[in-house]
Amino acid sequence: MTPDTLFQIASPLAMAGWLLLALAPLVPRWADTLAGFILPALLSLLYTGVILGHWWQGQGGFDSLANVMALLSNPWMALAGWVHFLAFDLFIGGWITRRARTEGVSHLLVLPCLLLTFLFGPIGLILFLSIAATRRLLHPLRSEV
Amino acid sequence: MSDISLSSVPRAPAHPRLIPRLFGAEPRFAALGLLLALAMIPTTLAMTLDPRQFQAEAIWLKPLKFELALSLYLLSLAFFARFLPPGMTDGRGYRIFAGVVIFCVLAEMAWIGGAAMFGTASHFNLTDPVMGAIYGLMGLFAVTLTSASLVYGIAIWRHPAGLPDPALRLSVALGLGLTFVLTVLVAGYMAGQPGHLVGTPVTGAKVPLMGWSREVGDLRLPHFLATHAMHVIPLVGLLAGRMRSSRLAIWSVWAVSAGFVALTLGSFALAIMGLPAFAL
Repeated sequence: MTPDTLFQIASPLAMAGWLLLALAPLVPRWADTLAGFILPALLSLLYTGVILGHWWQGQGGFDSLANVMALLSNPWMALAGWVHFLAFDLFIGGWITRRARTEGVSHLLVLPCLLLTFLFGPIGLILFLSIAATRRLLHPLRSEV
Repeated sequence: MSDISLSSVPRAPAHPRLIPRLFGAEPRFAALGLLLALAMIPTTLAMTLDPRQFQAEAIWLKPLKFELALSLYLLSLAFFARFLPPGMTDGRGYRIFAGVVIFCVLAEMAWIGGAAMFGTASHFNLTDPVMGAIYGLMGLFAVTLTSASLVYGIAIWRHPAGLPDPALRLSVALGLGLTFVLTVLVAGYMAGQPGHLVGTPVTGAKVPLMGWSREVGDLRLPHFLATHAMHVIPLVGLLAGRMRSSRLAIWSVWAVSAGFVALTLGSFALAIMGLPAFAL
């Protein structure tokens, strides 16, 4: 198994999850269990395996930007980093979808948050948090229920 | 719903919180206004991290200015919405209109922010057919989003119960209406020019903070005045409302409005002639 093969496996798994989240109003159960839980768990398992099996060949460290770059210059560590992105971004996407449902945020507003989380992780998260905060500011009664 | 005073908000009548009390009458515009205000934080951060310049200014300064201006515009509309006829903001036609206005604001911001990100011009960009076509479309969007002030002005004028003081109502309606008319006039002319500056030589002398040229004509000054009619004239109406004679108050609103229009058109004429309003 090469890092390239695992990369080819991991990316479609995440894509499937994002597709389910985008269609969440139609398939809420699938979105919650598969995209919000099982797929991030599978990606986390893959990450764990990669780290256990290949951490020994990593160089560099976490203490400086140069060392982090050195660490990620190894293909196995770069794969691990990428799967880390995929797993955590998807988990955040699932959280946004569930949170939006309980707070009554329209899916029309959730979609750009999901797209941005998919592409640029934290930008999508901060957009959703901003939308949620704005709603709380404007409708204090509703959100306190 | 019949009691519409400065402190009443249809959605949460007895709630003491400041933001719903100020802006709760139009939560759609208020929400987007607040989001644009929040967006100024990462935009400022980008400005400090990104060394690129555009026309001798930080490349992110323009998106930052538009976030501030559009946020203020939307929050002002949300504030004035308390004077609209009861139920107007729940009507189907109005909701579609508000949705279109929100779409236009988002499109303008995406265009201006996107241009900054990729280091190109947004307004006056005719370098290729695509950017030229987008520029034209954005002009249409800008007129559409500004038309909300005219719609509000007319609706408030036609609903005396919403704002019983005649001088104050006149000032709010006139200010909102003039924002549309003057802005479309000035910005429409500006859009037909190669840029916001008229004349040469430009070495970079500017009014502090506002950035208007102190050497040549700058069409952004009349645009600024035009767009803030909705703030200046209602403030005058608020003061005039304290006069004992309501006829005098109404006359004062008309007189100050005429003066403000003259000021805007005067600065517009100066800019067209290539003369700075604030010389060196």
